[in-house]
Amino acid sequence: MPLSSLPLADPGSPDLASPMAFLRWLQRSQRRGQLLATWWTLLEMGCQAALPIPLGLGVQAAVDGDAGGIWRAGGLALLLAAGAATGTVLAHRQAVWNWMHAACQVRQLVARQASHLGAGLSRRIATGEVVAVGSGDVERIAWYVELVARVRSAVIVWLAVSSVVLVVEPVLGVGVLLGVPVLAASVWPLIGPFERRYEQQRALGGKATELAADTVAGLRVLRGIGGEELFLERYRAASQKVRAAAVRSARIWSLMQAQQVLLPGLFVVGVTWYGARLAASGELAVGTLIAVYGATAFLAAPLRILGEAAHAWSVARVSSGRAARVLSLSRTVGAAEASLTRPAKADLHDPVSGLTARAGELTAVVCGDPDFAGALAERLGGHVPLAEGEQEQPSVRLGGTELDTVPLAEARVAVLVHDKEPVLLSGTLAELFDVPSSGRLSAPEALAAARSDDVLEALVDGSPECAGDPMRARITERGRSLSGGQRQRLALARALLADPPVLVLDEPTSAVDAHTESRIATGLRDTRAGRTTVVFATSPLLLDQADRVVLLRDGRVAAAGRHRELMRSEPAYRAVVTRDEAAAQPVGEAV
Amino acid sequence: MKPPVHEEQGPTATLPVGSPAAVRGYLILLARRHRGGFSVVVALHSVATLAGLVGPWVLGSLVESLATGTTGSTITVAVAWYLLALVAQAAFTGWSRMRGAVLGERVLADLREDFLVRSVALPTGVLERAGTGDLVSRGTTDVDRLDKSVREAVPELAVAVVSLLLLLGALLVTSPVLALTSLVGLPLLLATSRWYFRRAPQSYRNESAGYAAVNTVLAETVDAGRTVEALRLGDERIRLTDRKLREWLAWERYTLWLRSVWFPTIDAVYTAAVLATLVLGGLFTLRGWITVGQLTTGVLYAQMLTGPVDLILRWYDELQIGQASLARLVGVREVPEHEGDESARPDGRRVEARDVRFGYREGADVLHGISLDVAPGSRVALVGPSGAGKSTLGRLLAGIYAPGGGSVTLGGAALSRMPAERVRAEVALVNQEHHVFVGTLRDNLRLAAPDADDTELRAALDAVDAGAWVDALPEGLDTEVGSGGTSLTPPQAQQLALARLVLADPHTLVLDEATSLLDPRAARHLERSLSRVLEGRTVIAIAHRLHTAHDADVIAVVEGGRISEYGSHPELVAAGGPYAALWRSWRDER
Repeated sequence: MPLSSLPLADPGSPDLASPMAFLRWLQRSQRRGQLLATWWTLLEMGCQAALPIPLGLGVQAAVDGDAGGIWRAGGLALLLAAGAATGTVLAHRQAVWNWMHAACQVRQLVARQASHLGAGLSRRIATGEVVAVGSGDVERIAWYVELVARVRSAVIVWLAVSSVVLVVEPVLGVGVLLGVPVLAASVWPLIGPFERRYEQQRALGGKATELAADTVAGLRVLRGIGGEELFLERYRAASQKVRAAAVRSARIWSLMQAQQVLLPGLFVVGVTWYGARLAASGELAVGTLIAVYGATAFLAAPLRILGEAAHAWSVARVSSGRAARVLSLSRTVGAAEASLTRPAKADLHDPVSGLTARAGELTAVVCGDPDFAGALAERLGGHVPLAEGEQEQPSVRLGGTELDTVPLAEARVAVLVHDKEPVLLSGTLAELFDVPSSGRLSAPEALAAARSDDVLEALVDGSPECAGDPMRARITERGRSLSGGQRQRLALARALLADPPVLVLDEPTSAVDAHTESRIATGLRDTRAGRTTVVFATSPLLLDQADRVVLLRDGRVAAAGRHRELMRSEPAYRAVVTRDEAAAQPVGEAV
Repeated sequence: MKPPVHEEQGPTATLPVGSPAAVRGYLILLARRHRGGFSVVVALHSVATLAGLVGPWVLGSLVESLATGTTGSTITVAVAWYLLALVAQAAFTGWSRMRGAVLGERVLADLREDFLVRSVALPTGVLERAGTGDLVSRGTTDVDRLDKSVREAVPELAVAVVSLLLLLGALLVTSPVLALTSLVGLPLLLATSRWYFRRAPQSYRNESAGYAAVNTVLAETVDAGRTVEALRLGDERIRLTDRKLREWLAWERYTLWLRSVWFPTIDAVYTAAVLATLVLGGLFTLRGWITVGQLTTGVLYAQMLTGPVDLILRWYDELQIGQASLARLVGVREVPEHEGDESARPDGRRVEARDVRFGYREGADVLHGISLDVAPGSRVALVGPSGAGKSTLGRLLAGIYAPGGGSVTLGGAALSRMPAERVRAEVALVNQEHHVFVGTLRDNLRLAAPDADDTELRAALDAVDAGAWVDALPEGLDTEVGSGGTSLTPPQAQQLALARLVLADPHTLVLDEATSLLDPRAARHLERSLSRVLEGRTVIAIAHRLHTAHDADVIAVVEGGRISEYGSHPELVAAGGPYAALWRSWRDER
């Protein structure tokens, strides 16, 4: 089996017209696997269904005193058992392979979608929803896709067993033919209520888990300030609710269990009674009675598959709908045919605020409103993903070319916007720094410019497996094991390493102490020499290193010049930078 | 086939994992608590299984009488017995499953609640060092895994073991020779199962860790959408996902291979049981050792053996996975609780550090003999470069860590010896972490003062300038916040944390870069809230921004684990040391 072909080189482009269409598309992409799974399951169940025949023959031979017959029955049973065993293992392998194929394909599609939508995705859909598609939904979708092949076999086996019994004894045959669908349908009335109660139980369970996770995540706060009892009580209440809900759904479930014993059992009892009477009147041999009994009892297997299918269909439909929705999101990009020439030598200009960052200079932007600054920083990179109902604003120009008219990939190469909360992706430090870059700077140089010596030490300390090499040290998810200032410096080093023609930094050192910040300021200046850099900042230590500082008020450029000039000439500037309000009087400082 | 080389690294265990003895001890504790319920479930299920054994027996006796010639009435009587037994089997199956679920849910509730009770009692020092990541994954992933074990594996296994024993008993009663014959394949089953279970649990754990790892990558890609786009990491993320998929699939293939080897041997054993009873039993019948009825019943019982054996094999590794999770939950119980010395009672509010030495690891001190005297009501600022030991010193002064050498005292009593409840009534550490708990705003505030009424809560909010936005919320104090609820901005979350402080009302505060993660422009408004909270309290502030240091009564410059400069702002500026240089460049007074 070609298991090694997964993950697929190309997961293909799915049919997303409807949840059903998506499921069918997934089935089509593994047509051969589906056929094989049906065939092996058929072999497995066929042999199992036929096994009662030699058992009957054997008993009959014992009744007739025929030793050779017993051996022949044994031989036939051995043959059938071998067939069943082969079928079982191959059917299982093929079913798992089909499951893996579908699960892998959907996950690859979702991953590609997430990577392509980039910044646009999180504005349109919650992270949790995408992740839910990538884990739980994938399992259910793959389950359904895989199951369809087995359902085919179950139906074929049911029809085959019925027709064989029909030939041997017509009345019993009709009973088997009709009995199976009736029994399969008898589970249905309970499935609905069970699913509802189970959903309720799961929702409550999810809530309790969330409460536990939340309490534990905030445990340092609780231990530092109190409230443990309060939160324990809350959790106990949630936990007991889960218990009650689980018992409620278990009530229906036990009923279903009892039903699964009773109904097929009644069927078998009926067949036994009818068959025994035939046998008593001599119309049926004893061995045949045993064979019919065994075959009827065997029908529980295809019945189980049909029941499983009903369940799988009800959950897979919902999951498939969710997956199709995530996969059909798109990012609207207008005509993007323009091209940038020499982006490193071009001025960056924003027509809305009037801000201009000159080519090759370090421009600092001072702005009293953090939200406005964040939005402006994002706009400077062009191609701002819009949330629903948001208005598009005139595009930023780089050397006269509107960035929004340049293909997204090209715009991102020219301008790198380092936002306020850049994410440190987990992995080793070497992996973190494996970003597309100009190659002008090495990782150690970038780290030195961001003054990260102590971060490296902390990383080495925290990951014993790196054996003293900081580049092999692991950064945990979102860099949670590091302090805010340490995270900021690593992120800054990464942006410096990428070394784009234009770099826009939004408050890159807000969590860094003054000692270190002043050293970063010179590091930044030196590494970006001759390149265009815009830094949104309020710290004098950074502003002092800028070639030019621009003050924004009410969204427009209000003044520009060197830091010291502005400190002397602009009271408004002085107020923002030194955090002095009118008359330079310290107000409400922390200490 | 060899197992894949790559193993997905789970979250590093920063807290102890329970030893087998501790897990056993805990299981005994649980078993004692639920002894009654368990016996009832086993009894009910035994009745159900016994009733299920009637069918083959009836068929056997029918065959017996048919072979010797019979009348219609014996058939009717036999089938009536069969019917009665079937109804009993169905009823008792349902009943035992119900009682089993009730019991299982009780046990589960005990497990998760016990875990949280222990977790919230962990000493703060342990939490600071271990972080909460490991604990969160125990409280979520491990509890979920146990769910599956307790809800499905334990009852299925109990049912299977009881069924198996009763079935073998029934075979023995029907015909001792047949019972022995049905066991011919047992040695093979034991040998291959041993082989399988040596490899399976770890492989399945790796498989599920690999499955989760793909998701972690996906979640990060979505979460870090902006970063991924800005740094042009899209293709790299796709490659990484494919790599994680490959690693996960490698484990899927390995476990599939394990099953491909093992499943046929189970089938073989089962086939051997049926064939042996059929052929040998048939020959025995010819010799007259057993009757045709016994043969029929025996063959059918042998065929039934597959049910419980399959169940045991299917659920056994789930049980092993559950056991590993249980060990992680029980591990939390092994952290010694910080009892505290009731007699350590502060006399006054003076915080004093005397010649304090401290290191996180043996032989690697972070602080080398620091002495600091903080007078009640005074404000001390700790400044210095990152990694100098400011935060560590702050945590010692807040009583979170005990010093390795020297002493940290509050009113003459050692802080680290006091019970946690007493310490926090006196000193609070305010750091960058401003966790907003899932719940209402009221819940979030009341944790600091469980008895406070709405008037007091409002007063606290007003004190930190948060009254206005709380009133603007449609449901005021009843607004659901935290993950899934109304999301608060970082400054609002910080204000909430400050309002908690007002309610808790400790006289000494250690501020560790409390506002540093906030945008400096937002921090300014917040510092006004903070300054109100600080009024009348002793404050030890770890300062990032020099204007924070400027107004302190005393500034201690910490460098390399030592205090290198000490004095008031004017004194230090006049001294012309490194602090003065930094201040001048900050204020542009060159």
